[in-house]
Amino acid sequence: MADNGQSPDSVSLTIDGNEITVPQGTTLLQAAQGMGTEVPHYCYHPGLSSPAMCRLCLVEVEGAPKLLPSCTTTVAPDQVVHTSSEKAHRMRTGVLEFYLVNHPLDCPICDQSGECELQDYVFEEGREHGRGREPKRVFGRDDFGGDVLFYGDRCVMCTRCVRFLNEMENNPLLSVVERGNRSVIDTFFDSGLEDAEWAGNVVDICPVGALVSKDFLHKARAWDLDHTPSICHSCSQGCNIDLHTRDNLVHRMKPRHNHSVNGHWICDYGRGRYESLNRGDRLDAPVVRDGGHTTAMGWNEALEAVVDRLEGTDGGVKAVVSPSWSNEDLGGVANFVAALGGGDVFYRSAKGEEAPLPGFEGLARREDLAPNTRGAELLGFERVGDAAGSGGLERLADHKGVILVLGDSLPDAPEDFGAAAKAVIYLGAHTSAALGSASFSLPVTTFAEQEGTFTNHDGRVQRFWPALDAPGASRPAWLILGATVAALKGGDGPRSADQAFQLLGQRVAAYEGITYEDVNHSGAVINETVTVTGD
Amino acid sequence: MTDIPFKNPGWAGNTGEYDLTEEQVRGLDFVGVRPLEGAHAAGSASYPFMLAEKAPEAPLFEGGYQERFEKILSRYPNSRAALLPALNLAQEIRGHISPETMDRVAELLDLSGAYVRGVATFYTMYNKRPVGRYLIQVCTNISCNLCGAEDVLEAFLKYTDTEVGETSSDGSFTTIEAECLAGCGYPTCVQINSRYFENVTPQEVPKILKVLKNEGAAAPSSADEGGDG
Amino acid sequence: MGYPYSHEKEVPILSKYFGDPEARTLDGWKARGGYQALKKALEMTPEQVIDTVKDSGLRGRGGAGFPTGLKWSFMPKDKTKAHYLLCNADESEPGTFKDRELLRWVPHLLIEGCAIAAYAMGAEHIYIYCRGEFFEATQVLGRAVEDAYEDGILGEDAMGSGQKIDLTVHVGAGAYICGEETGLMSSLEGRRGEPRVKPPFPAAVGAFGMPTTINNVETLCAVPPIIENGGEWYRQWGTEKSPGTKLFCVSGHVNRPGNYELPLGFPLKDLIHDVCGGIPEGRALKAVIPGGSSVPLLSAEECETCALSYEGVVEAGSMLGCASVIVMDESTDIVHQVMRMASFYAHESCGQCTPCREGTAWVTKILRRIEDGRGTEEDLDTLIELTDQMTGTTICVLSDSVSPPVQSSIAKFKDEYLALIRRGERMGVT
Repeated sequence: MADNGQSPDSVSLTIDGNEITVPQGTTLLQAAQGMGTEVPHYCYHPGLSSPAMCRLCLVEVEGAPKLLPSCTTTVAPDQVVHTSSEKAHRMRTGVLEFYLVNHPLDCPICDQSGECELQDYVFEEGREHGRGREPKRVFGRDDFGGDVLFYGDRCVMCTRCVRFLNEMENNPLLSVVERGNRSVIDTFFDSGLEDAEWAGNVVDICPVGALVSKDFLHKARAWDLDHTPSICHSCSQGCNIDLHTRDNLVHRMKPRHNHSVNGHWICDYGRGRYESLNRGDRLDAPVVRDGGHTTAMGWNEALEAVVDRLEGTDGGVKAVVSPSWSNEDLGGVANFVAALGGGDVFYRSAKGEEAPLPGFEGLARREDLAPNTRGAELLGFERVGDAAGSGGLERLADHKGVILVLGDSLPDAPEDFGAAAKAVIYLGAHTSAALGSASFSLPVTTFAEQEGTFTNHDGRVQRFWPALDAPGASRPAWLILGATVAALKGGDGPRSADQAFQLLGQRVAAYEGITYEDVNHSGAVINETVTVTGD
Repeated sequence: MTDIPFKNPGWAGNTGEYDLTEEQVRGLDFVGVRPLEGAHAAGSASYPFMLAEKAPEAPLFEGGYQERFEKILSRYPNSRAALLPALNLAQEIRGHISPETMDRVAELLDLSGAYVRGVATFYTMYNKRPVGRYLIQVCTNISCNLCGAEDVLEAFLKYTDTEVGETSSDGSFTTIEAECLAGCGYPTCVQINSRYFENVTPQEVPKILKVLKNEGAAAPSSADEGGDG
Repeated sequence: MGYPYSHEKEVPILSKYFGDPEARTLDGWKARGGYQALKKALEMTPEQVIDTVKDSGLRGRGGAGFPTGLKWSFMPKDKTKAHYLLCNADESEPGTFKDRELLRWVPHLLIEGCAIAAYAMGAEHIYIYCRGEFFEATQVLGRAVEDAYEDGILGEDAMGSGQKIDLTVHVGAGAYICGEETGLMSSLEGRRGEPRVKPPFPAAVGAFGMPTTINNVETLCAVPPIIENGGEWYRQWGTEKSPGTKLFCVSGHVNRPGNYELPLGFPLKDLIHDVCGGIPEGRALKAVIPGGSSVPLLSAEECETCALSYEGVVEAGSMLGCASVIVMDESTDIVHQVMRMASFYAHESCGQCTPCREGTAWVTKILRRIEDGRGTEEDLDTLIELTDQMTGTTICVLSDSVSPPVQSSIAKFKDEYLALIRRGERMGVT
């Protein structure tokens, strides 16, 4: 926000006694934020317009006759601004009192409790005791369609939801209805938000518990949830998210701000797919099937058995991977195939219809409904199968050499899949009917249980962090594959995801020179545009 | 409340300072019968009436009304600005703004239904539900209040046998309170459909209601066609 | 002269033809010397027109009293963008009824004033925003506009001058807040009539994003006589700071309510007792609201020395506003009237800003409870604090307008409140 003050378009001013320099056109609120001071506000949102109607962000500016709304007042040279002077504080207490007079005492039953901006501001600056003696106005609960539930009594009329649908989704489905203190947010009678692809964002931006998610209703308390930064796994846009977990279950997904990828938004499709991370049908322990015997064993023993079986393999490896696995995992597959003398690696991905968010350039739910198809492409893997993500398995179903499957549980595989193979190695997270007789079933972690990166459709490498504990004996695929290759060829496998990513940089020019530190929380773009093989 | 403290005859009489007929004061002789399709486009929006005869199912827009709508559209730089005149026209034809009407107007102007609903519910004059043949709006704001407006309101409610906002059993009258009608010099000011009744006293209320009920009867409600008494 | 009553002390400039049905017709208006001012203005340069209005000292007659010539000069010199003139005929302030008379008796005067103003500011488009309830007035005005077009006074080539002056009558739909200038622009654009933050000011970014000026009906009607007779001529009436005449709308407890055109600075007590014939049945004066419901009440003693000019009323402890004088005699229940005014604001609030949306309704509920006999003395302190919290914290001044009636009535008529609170008694009711 603040720059070094050398450009002619900078303005110097004083906020709360601190002199700062910011670009011309910056609002007082943004300038204060840059300094680390949060001025309370509702209707302002960095991704939307500023109507200056909540009247909470008013600050005292010396020389101005009235308090000015800091979200629309731009900086002027030598302004002296006080965000928390006696006058500003008294005004905020007064405005908060007006917010509370009709607000129901719903905190015990309101989902927003613990992450509610009204609670926070009133706790800081509100009156100790309410003095409203009149009955409160009641609007009741309204189902807006889709995942959105509206509690009208709690609404503070910031109109962020209305403006989001107008400005971002270009689909004015909500509006303010009636006038004055009878005003309320509503849809057009019985039709609602069912068809809007991005409507779930209104729940995120609602500062109070007026708009809530039906899926999350009364599920968990905000303060019980842990937040872990991650990347959405439902399409190749790679929206930055936070996974909210409790008791080792993901309870919901919230967007994380990234101005290059998804702004402040995520789509409803991705948002709803957090449940796939809670699946119970997990592979527990490494299982080896030999002759007629099926034995579960520890990792050391299991890997010894794998290495034994693979001895002497020279080329002819066929693998199919899921593009929902990280770059490190896919890189591990590439290394493994190379170490065994080479072969073909395939991947399949479902495709859907693109659903853009018109108000944010470059943001859409992409056609590719998997997070790392670009990562697979960059490694030279071949895309097979149809738009439903099925098919293409005839390329390896009858293969006589080594078959490796990573992540894809092959729900559409023929019954005798891999019957002729020298060995079928299944590194999977979930149990698979088709691979029930695989030579080796090795449990691996999903992306939510490990550190790693995805590469989005635009060539941006983005990191995610583990939000859940790895169940059973599962381990990251890059660790297992690296250890196997090390056992076969000597040397050491990567010990950390960071190392695995560096290994990838040695194999793929696009990643060369990029470190985890470069990627960090907002991602890093790959080195060049690589021509892709396959689809 | 108090008795009306004084009597100032206006439109149930004349001050004696002017020798004018009601036609002349109301401009009916000058304005004449207004064409459905509006005359000059500049004035087309200025003739929406609150008609006694309402057609809730009538199409929007047809014939003369369609012409007027197009004239109105031509006066604004974009179609959104024609929303208020379009809703006025729709209400003139149909009597009230129903969800279907909002939908149809939204379609005509390329706006969303929710947006039109937001605008239509903002303004007081759009009836969101059907009202009686005659919508009686009694100003009870301060100037008329000082001169007994609440007694006039009570009288209308009593003689139509309704509560505020309720339509009488024969569908003729709905009485509501209105904010200042800008007729403060002629307390109490009552607007019935398109017409102002000034200097109304509780004593005159039964007479007014009787005249309204007897359609097309003589003064004070002689109407021009397309207009209303 | 005034309508329906006139008085010899009046100075009929705008109201000369009130009560004259012929003056509404184009021929009648021309026969009475109409459209000479427009002809003269079109031969002057726009700057000269603005200077003439500046010289006259004409102040906005819609309530704010902002110097009109100065307001016109805010319009950008660069005329590449379309400029708009909006005439505010959304007269909804309680107690005000002058614009309705101007519209229905002298529509051509308004048209002429609009045309002169549009020419002065380089605006090719004029919208006259009439409130929806004014069916009669808009019909008369609409007919007058049509006649003006037919006669070539308006249109592509106004009066043969080569200037384009286009006028449209736009009808509203019942919202007091659309009388606020930015609310009017929002409503004109087909939106909810919600006021906008200033800056940006209408002269920079206004209706449809273009430079816009909004003027009241009475202000624009005063322009043709000023152009015709010169700025100095207008200053022969009124005071130094408030030149000219004003249409005073007197209502309430007087024998002859109505509009009277008097020079600014006219004594309030003469207006009530002389011009309007005093209070019916000789009752005593209790309070007067000199400028519409948004200004403080004046007690009977304060009325004795009050002069009706912008500065004079401020000296007396109130504001002139739109000069709607509401007279209340001893039979008035002050608490009831203040409650009615508060409920008016609660009904008309647009609902954007929280202090106004919640505060107007809350203040009304408290006043109703006091009226019901269930009030407490803390309620009076609460009312004062709440109205203070509603002042200066909102986008427009509707919220600010609740404070004057409430606070001035509590200050000057506290015994009425206390009677209700302590004994459940209403004062002033006969």
